[in-house]
Amino acid sequence: MRFPNLLNTVANRRQLLKQTACGFGGVALNWMLTQGNVQAKPSVPPTRPKAKRIIFLFMAGGPSQPDLFDPKSLIIKNHGKTVAAPVDDTQLRVGVDQYLAMAPVAPVRPRGNSGMMISDLLPNIGGLADDLCLLKGMHTDNKAHSPATLQFHTGALTEARPSLGAWVSYGLGSENQDLPSFITIHPPSDGRTYGSSFLPAKHQGMAVRVPAKESDVAIKYLRDAETDLQTQQRRIDFLQTMNRRLLKEHSTPQMNGMIESFELAFRMQTETPQLVDLENETDETHQLYGLGDPATDRNGRACLLARRLSEAGVRFVQVSIGGWDHHGDIPNNLRKSCQQADRPIAGLITDLKRRGLLDETLVVWSGEFGRSPWSQDLSGTSPIEKHGREHQHESFCSILVGGGVRGGLTYGATDDFGYRPIEGRVHLYDLHATMLYLLGLDHEQLTHRHAGRDFRLTDVYGNVVHPILT
Amino acid sequence: MSADSKSVLRILAVMVAVTVSVVARAEDPSLDGQTNYRFFENRIRPVLVEHCYECHSGDQGKHKGGLRIDSREAIRTGGDSGPAIQTEHPLESLLLQAIRYESLEMPPQGKLSPKIIADFEKWISEGAPDPRDGSAVAEPESQTNNDPHQPHWAFAPIVPHHLPTVVRRSWPRDDLDYFVLHRLETVGMSPAADATRYRWLRRVSLDLTGLPPSLDEIRRFERDRSAHAETAVVDRLLSSPAFGEKWARHWLDLVGYADQIGTSNDIFAEHAWRYRNYVIDAINDDKPFDRFVQEQIAGDLLPYESVAERTDQLTATGFLLLGDVEIVEADKAKLLVDVIDQQIVKMSNAFLAMTVGCARCHDHKFDPISQRDYYALGGIFRSTDSIYQTGRGVWSSVTSVNLPETSDDQIRRNHRSTAHQQKLQQLTEKRDTLLREQEALAHESAAESNEETQKPDHEEEQLRQEIARLDNQIKHANYFSPRPPQAYSVHDADGPADMQITIRGNPRALGDLVARDHIEFLKSTQFPDIPSHESGRRQLAEWLTDSNNPLPARVVVNRIWQQLFGTGLVSSVDYFGVRGEQPSHPKLLDHLASTFISQGWSQKQLIRRLVLSRTYRMSSRPHAEYMDVDPENRLLWRMTPRRLSAESLRDSLLFVTDQLSRSRVNSALPLEYVENVGGLDPKNVNPPHFRLNKWRPDQPFQRTVFLPVVRSAEQPGPADLRNVFDFTQPATYAGQRSVTAVPTQALFLMNSESMKKFATAMAEQLKNASGDRLDLLWWRVLNRPIDPQERAQAIDFLANSDHDWSELCHALLASNEFLMVL
Repeated sequence: MRFPNLLNTVANRRQLLKQTACGFGGVALNWMLTQGNVQAKPSVPPTRPKAKRIIFLFMAGGPSQPDLFDPKSLIIKNHGKTVAAPVDDTQLRVGVDQYLAMAPVAPVRPRGNSGMMISDLLPNIGGLADDLCLLKGMHTDNKAHSPATLQFHTGALTEARPSLGAWVSYGLGSENQDLPSFITIHPPSDGRTYGSSFLPAKHQGMAVRVPAKESDVAIKYLRDAETDLQTQQRRIDFLQTMNRRLLKEHSTPQMNGMIESFELAFRMQTETPQLVDLENETDETHQLYGLGDPATDRNGRACLLARRLSEAGVRFVQVSIGGWDHHGDIPNNLRKSCQQADRPIAGLITDLKRRGLLDETLVVWSGEFGRSPWSQDLSGTSPIEKHGREHQHESFCSILVGGGVRGGLTYGATDDFGYRPIEGRVHLYDLHATMLYLLGLDHEQLTHRHAGRDFRLTDVYGNVVHPILT
Repeated sequence: MSADSKSVLRILAVMVAVTVSVVARAEDPSLDGQTNYRFFENRIRPVLVEHCYECHSGDQGKHKGGLRIDSREAIRTGGDSGPAIQTEHPLESLLLQAIRYESLEMPPQGKLSPKIIADFEKWISEGAPDPRDGSAVAEPESQTNNDPHQPHWAFAPIVPHHLPTVVRRSWPRDDLDYFVLHRLETVGMSPAADATRYRWLRRVSLDLTGLPPSLDEIRRFERDRSAHAETAVVDRLLSSPAFGEKWARHWLDLVGYADQIGTSNDIFAEHAWRYRNYVIDAINDDKPFDRFVQEQIAGDLLPYESVAERTDQLTATGFLLLGDVEIVEADKAKLLVDVIDQQIVKMSNAFLAMTVGCARCHDHKFDPISQRDYYALGGIFRSTDSIYQTGRGVWSSVTSVNLPETSDDQIRRNHRSTAHQQKLQQLTEKRDTLLREQEALAHESAAESNEETQKPDHEEEQLRQEIARLDNQIKHANYFSPRPPQAYSVHDADGPADMQITIRGNPRALGDLVARDHIEFLKSTQFPDIPSHESGRRQLAEWLTDSNNPLPARVVVNRIWQQLFGTGLVSSVDYFGVRGEQPSHPKLLDHLASTFISQGWSQKQLIRRLVLSRTYRMSSRPHAEYMDVDPENRLLWRMTPRRLSAESLRDSLLFVTDQLSRSRVNSALPLEYVENVGGLDPKNVNPPHFRLNKWRPDQPFQRTVFLPVVRSAEQPGPADLRNVFDFTQPATYAGQRSVTAVPTQALFLMNSESMKKFATAMAEQLKNASGDRLDLLWWRVLNRPIDPQERAQAIDFLANSDHDWSELCHALLASNEFLMVL
């Protein structure tokens, strides 16, 4: 008899633990069986959920909203000329001292019935305009990548706080006991963006890489290709026998947790590979996401995997798509980045929609900040055609689609430059509060006691953005 | 306090408030006419209710920014930023500034219409007549310290206690055992039996050095049946360099130590290792803890007698610098106050186990730390130079100093310099030769192309690449040319000055100036006066190590206890405040703290007595009944089994497979390899950065404490195991790591390449060993004899093939018994 089968039913698990963990209190036994981890979790009872899961498409680097969504006639009119930028002098700005207005690098036009403004660089996403909710008044607190990225994922600019996905997992628990409830595909390098910090560790995101070729692994250490399953299982049986015998002499919840984690690991290594195997999808679906095309293959695979994981019940799936940090030659570089992202993202939304999943899935598209309406030239000598744009956290655009959000809505507006929001201001904390709200979680109630006080994702801030909800 | 008496108090409080406001109204001449109220009721109150009450009223239970505006009193009392209404200069009232979006921006959902703003201007300039009664004081969330006359235990003086009486008088070995046993006996429990000698030896070896005992050490201990056998073991372990290498890491967790500055762009902290080695040495030399504290806060200001002492003292102040500093922050005023904040938070966590960060914006809600205390400390760190602008783009960096050199040091450095110059010259000559070749080639091909023949251009390409490679080597050599040794260190700023309160941490919204020595927290310990020309760090160090200061000794004793027993006597090791955990054995904590101080703050003496105690000697055998009443073992009825830290686990794997290098290491980052350094061009807008492409051949075998710690990504290279087994996140300051049991760990143990290599190495060793291989395997890995049942199972397991030996080794190295201290 092999242990993974033995432990398949709660009854058997109970029996086994009774045999091995003599002296376990009934209560402890019960929560171990239900929680499957060494730490208990107080769930917040969800209210009014409009979505069950989130897919967060993180555009690392800061996509250029003046080019993609928020063109300004003042800027277009003054293309190449210095404008009186309404900036204060509290921040160092490198390479933007000329404040040259820079028109969008490609036409931006009204799309769909709603007339939402979207660039020609995003033709496929543009085709879905009436499903999208475009936030034009987004703003955050820091203009450097690391702190801004951290803040986008955890609410904090430095320190280590639980990440958004960890809070969601903590608040809602798992829909699928054989999978982690938070998976992040091609995550940002800073592990804090998917960490659980002081929340129980099972809420931390599992990092996944999409296998681009046979030899790649999606999940680290998931398989040991050189050892056959039978050999591995003999070894694990021997080891678990030793572990269970040790329990008699030195029992702790920690040791039980370690034994259980071996079980889950074993199940994962046999079941997860099928889930991450994209060959189970039709050719038509592959094309929809842009698989096979060198420009879109990597992101297409990531988005398709996100759909499979989300469909399987993973509460929070993140896909990070990098390459948006265009400090130079933005006409060429932005075009390239859009080519790589447009079809996979539109494919994901279309696929969710036709499978009837979009109503219960909230898709969020955003960078950690946006880019400036005036150009940046780090060399100081390039012609404007080769300029880029500087980071801008004062205003930028994010997109929400699906579960509980109004489609075809453009919410918020910026000043004549596209620098500061003048209406529909949505701070990152407000976005976080809204995301939790859509899942039925009150951002002020979802707290965890740590170091003597209650912490929450939105710290002491955040207002749910009600006007964008259905 | 009972619920009833609480509500009586609350009623009393309301009555007092009502009385006060009635009196105030009577004295206010503008409040006699009804017209004024009508204006308020028609124009002002509806706006307040609609736009402000959600966040600033007692009804909603919220008062953001400490501000309530739902009563006449409250709106005048104001919040964190001061009174909302100023009757003397009505038009400068904060409320008006906020709704005009001048300072604060209220309400945050959108600016009110100009008409409404004009209404408010009119209302306030007429004295803001307001009929609303009610208490202005936001009720505290809860009252933890029920008796206001009894100071919170952690802030009370340390009192040495008499040993309590016990029934089983033969049990105690050390004084501390009396406290533990007494506590157990009062609830009718008895301590677990002693652990076997093998278990004790393995336990104490891992706890003191992070390494299991060697075969020799086990044998020697087995033979030594004298009364001093244990003492001899403990003294051997305490004098081993491995002791400091293990215990330094616990300290580095409180520092946010990394071999990287900040988090952005992988900027190397090339001198950070000096601080790491300073901590290792301080622990191995048993530097008195009070001295250790003083050097880290104010080492640069202390007198010294030798180059070595000065070097130590300067290096020690790296404590204040080696955390996550946001060096790419473009707003330098904000960067400055953020760095000060980190220094305050780190210092108060490490030495006081207090969370002071909240006081940046408001008086601490539960603990007696005022906003003024925070800014008094802030003034001390503001008068200390820690960061500077690099001149590259927006980048700042942390300050470093040249360390003093002996004349021998200087001579050696001169030798290195000469050799370096020669190397640089060779490189430059070589490159210049190639440049000339390139030029000639270009000339030639230009000439030839006239004749319409094509030279193979791969030669040109090769030449180009070789020149680029040499260029890079030259840049690298220039950047790392021999210089006087440096360390990250702080120094007093020119013109030390007090700091103004920054409202909500905003460096441009300034409040009162707070004197640097105006620290009122811990009234028992007078803060020394600070002369105007000093930063105040010297005085802060004095105050922290004043023997009347009850916190630092309790805090360090408790942290050491935690490392040896799994849980602190106070389980919230980083928080001794009012809302923290109560000590499980308050008298024991004070007993240990007072002897710690009287024995000269010696960490080694403390650790020695802890591990030689009877309490430490108990087995970890569970007891069915006790598991029900005290599953967390807070009463210390057994030893709590603990999982090894990531460092101990990796070092043990190397040790039992006989691969561990014991040498001391300086720089963790192999920056001497050109391929590991990028962005060396001095014209770059970003500073140079590391990229770990190549490792030194011996790094895979070095102790984990000597390997690079990075903040921007997973831990790199040979110690990837740290990413799986709860290594600390080097952006936090934490005296306690989480211990998780997640499937990633099991996957690592089952499938990782490193585990397979360890198993193979172990099997190879056994193959060449004489004697019973199973015996040897169990001794080496589990440090105990194999029992007959295990032997039978192992023989059965090995029946198939020779490869099964490495499978068996793999199973043992992944077993809970190896992963835990039992």
